[in-house]
Amino acid sequence: MKPVVDRLKQEYEGRVEFRIYDVDKDSEGQELMRQYGAQYVPTFVFVNSDGTEANRAVGETSESEMRRLLDSLQ
Amino acid sequence: MTDGRCSLDAKKILLWAGVALVIVVGAVFLMRPASGDVQNVTPDRAAELVADGVRVVDVRTPGEYDLSHIPGAENVPMDVLASEASAWDPGEPLLVYCTTGARSAQAVTYLEAQGFETIYHLDAGIVTWSGDLEKGSEIAEMPADVKPGDSPVIYEFSTDW
Repeated sequence: MKPVVDRLKQEYEGRVEFRIYDVDKDSEGQELMRQYGAQYVPTFVFVNSDGTEANRAVGETSESEMRRLLDSLQ
Repeated sequence: MTDGRCSLDAKKILLWAGVALVIVVGAVFLMRPASGDVQNVTPDRAAELVADGVRVVDVRTPGEYDLSHIPGAENVPMDVLASEASAWDPGEPLLVYCTTGARSAQAVTYLEAQGFETIYHLDAGIVTWSGDLEKGSEIAEMPADVKPGDSPVIYEFSTDW
């Protein structure tokens, strides 16, 4: 997933903020993951600018699906 | 004639010795300690085993375990598995899992080598588990520290595994 995420991060820079956590090492990421009730890795949570959760993707996700979810963010 | 008779007896003796050898070797083979019985199981089968009270071993890190785990599972991370498992009864069946099956496969290989007789392996990992989880099984409220910002946000929660 990393090459896809890196590419999308670059492409969506300025439009979508990417917050990436290694939950094995990052306690803040673990806490956020717990708060979101995310059970699996990788999990992607898509949050609109008003703070509402728009979507989430769990497990390996295709680049086209990631783009679709990113484009649906408001 | 005598030589021929002796030769026949010698052949019979050799034949019976061979038969005896096969029987002894077979008996020794059958009586040897049972080798580990490792079964890869589906989430549904794992759920049945959990319901039956099998010992459930989660070999992920404490952080992952805290986020959510199969009810009743004990956390035995890979780095302490050897020391912890040395105190367990090898005859007690185990259900072993991790996130996706990579670490637990190593754990199962180790436990089998240590003589554990019955090992159930949730080889696709907890990601395939659809039953109840302890902790983190509900979609939480919006985190208090996630404030609306100027732009949408994507959170990625991942590991190196």
